[in-house]
Amino acid sequence: MSDRIRVLSVLVEDGSSTLTKVAGMIRRRGFHVRAITVGPSGEPGRSRMTLQIDAGHAEVDQVKKQLERLVEVVEIEDLTEHDVHSRELVVARVKASAVPELVAKGARVLEPGSVSTTVEFAGEGEEVGAFVEELRRHGNLDVVRSGPVVMRRTA
Amino acid sequence: MTGADLVLEALEQEGVDLIFGYPGGANLPIYQRLPEHPKLKHILVRHEQGAAHMADGYARACGRPGVVFATSGPGALNLVTGLCTAYMDSVPMIAITGQVNSTQVGRDAFQESDVIGATSSVTKHSYLVTDIAQLPRVIHEAFHIATTGRPGPVLIDICKDVQMAEAERTPRTALSIPGYQLNGHVRLQDAKVAAEALAHAERPVILAGHGVLLSHAEQALLDLAEKAGVPVGTTLLGIGGFPVKHPLSLHMTGFMGTGWCLKAVQNADVLMMVGMRVDDRVTARLADFAPKVTTFIHVDIDGSEMGKNVRPHIELVADARNALEAMLPHVDSVDDRRGAWLTQIDAWREEHPLRYTHSNGHLQPQDVLIDMYKRCRNEAVVVADVGQNQIWAALWWNYDRPGLFINSGGAGTMGFALPAAIGAKFARPDLDVWCVAGEGGFVMTAQELSVAVEHQLDIKIVLLNNFSLGMVRQFQDDFYGGVRSQVELTHIPDFVKLADAYGLPGVRVERLADVGPAMDAAQRTKGPFLIDFRIDPEANVYPIVPLGKGLNDFWEAPQQ
Ligand SMILES: Cc1ncc(C[n+]2csc(CCOP(=O)(O)OP(=O)(O)O)c2C)c(N)n1
Ligand SMILES: [Mg+2]
Repeated sequence: MSDRIRVLSVLVEDGSSTLTKVAGMIRRRGFHVRAITVGPSGEPGRSRMTLQIDAGHAEVDQVKKQLERLVEVVEIEDLTEHDVHSRELVVARVKASAVPELVAKGARVLEPGSVSTTVEFAGEGEEVGAFVEELRRHGNLDVVRSGPVVMRRTA
Repeated sequence: MTGADLVLEALEQEGVDLIFGYPGGANLPIYQRLPEHPKLKHILVRHEQGAAHMADGYARACGRPGVVFATSGPGALNLVTGLCTAYMDSVPMIAITGQVNSTQVGRDAFQESDVIGATSSVTKHSYLVTDIAQLPRVIHEAFHIATTGRPGPVLIDICKDVQMAEAERTPRTALSIPGYQLNGHVRLQDAKVAAEALAHAERPVILAGHGVLLSHAEQALLDLAEKAGVPVGTTLLGIGGFPVKHPLSLHMTGFMGTGWCLKAVQNADVLMMVGMRVDDRVTARLADFAPKVTTFIHVDIDGSEMGKNVRPHIELVADARNALEAMLPHVDSVDDRRGAWLTQIDAWREEHPLRYTHSNGHLQPQDVLIDMYKRCRNEAVVVADVGQNQIWAALWWNYDRPGLFINSGGAGTMGFALPAAIGAKFARPDLDVWCVAGEGGFVMTAQELSVAVEHQLDIKIVLLNNFSLGMVRQFQDDFYGGVRSQVELTHIPDFVKLADAYGLPGVRVERLADVGPAMDAAQRTKGPFLIDFRIDPEANVYPIVPLGKGLNDFWEAPQQ
């Protein structure tokens, strides 16, 4: 990953303006979103965003510092240089003939069919990249990726 | 109680005495209840931008947050420039805008606009109030956020049905804003290291910004500068943070700063930047900024300023006053080469004085300002507009304390001066207020003259009228090959007649000999007074650093 990219786990207030305020800050500072996932956090009224942000022409530490200035942002953990679990989910529709090989690579069948089959795959960043390559080789019909969710390893 | 009453009562509790505003459909419920709250004096402006600048000038002059009301849609959007001006200069302000009914939001209702969306890049924080249960909490939160830490404007957009809804008054509870932790980021551990670096430097310089004024750090700055024997320059917004006539003063820095200040910055070995953003107007070409510095020290309350433009070696993240006070006890011995450095700076001061042309038969703007300064000394507030007039007002006056010079630095908003001067006069009725403006910027908000006349505010308006967008004309002459494009203001009103139409006295001055008598008349007159000074149309601002060049390359006024 380029050293211009920051991986941040951000706890935010679950309000109607939060997403636009975070996105607005990213845009006007010249940063760029590489990946973003949002979901409920463990705390009521708060959501967890996982962001992969390219700092653009700014100093890389600006990404966290600028986001911290938003009142909607409660807490930020910078995971960039840390040992993390970075998991991503891929869902793909593939030709039935490709299924055995994909299953051997770790895919799970969600919905079998005579013409096409829907499979899912979850893994760490590079594994996902390799799996998507594999799909491409088999001429997949459709693929969606969730973007990563990231958590620090405890050990 | 209605939502409107909850809002107005919360303003009273926050100690608000003045509101600058303009009514319309979406804030009528608030205006309906306003007469029931006589402690809140409302100033009816003539354009919402004027309200925002008045609130801004009010806040800069007295330190309390300015309060603005506007209706939805065009009313709220007319505030944007004023919010931006306050935001860029970290001025505390509360803007309360009416929004369409909560059930109408998103339906393109009459005068609906996404005010939160339009203003979030120019506010410190903003709220959309769709439920009366949010009141009055958000009002108190807004004041807290606007006035603490690095101050700034906070906008509260309140749906009309919420203003009309009924609720019981609830007891005020302690604020809890988890995403806004004031002291969570303070870092002062390196105060001692910073103090020693400064005291032991051979050629130290301090640059002081608006943060010094906002945190009332001027005494601490003076003490530190004197104890450590360090010369001090200020940014445009830092003017007043250090007395211009002090022997250690470098006056103003930046791309229109004084020659001796720029020389000092470019030769410094330790440079401490206090309460400032270190923006491009201060650094000029970044790669050439302060090239001999081995240790940059940066003090700012906003941690995101650290390394944003210049990477400091020592960071103090704190209120400027706390930081300087933390450094003071650690200044022990001062480097014995300090005398030579100060002597060198004195030599530069002699070599590169501020000077101007005064022998071409035209009235010079500097003559006007020098006359003004002789009369007012430091007992008046000068509110400048933007352009050449602003830089002349910054340089040709010897401000010795905070609150005497007000101008739009970060945003450079033309049209700021008149409404801001009105706000400043409301804030400081005890001080004379002088509004210095170019004729270009003045007409952008001239309708607010009505407010000055209505309230018989003692504001002296000094127009430095050069019949052109002078600063732009100078840039075109100096840096764009002399191509004068769209800068001549061939059709401007007769300002004396304009003043008369608005109901204030005015005079025109074309000769140096008439400056004194016109100023006498202005000072004798109670209430607003306008002087249209017809100045040298070719007068320029010097020193100036050519665009794209480093601070070393400053141009000076031609030698007489
Ligand atoms: C709202 C706005 N529009 C444009 C500018 C760009 N600008 C900066 S200075 C200037 C000229 C100002 O002319 P005038 O008010 O007559 O002042 P002078 O420079 O002649 O003293 C202009 C157009 C600006 N700062 N603000
Ligand atoms: Mg002009």
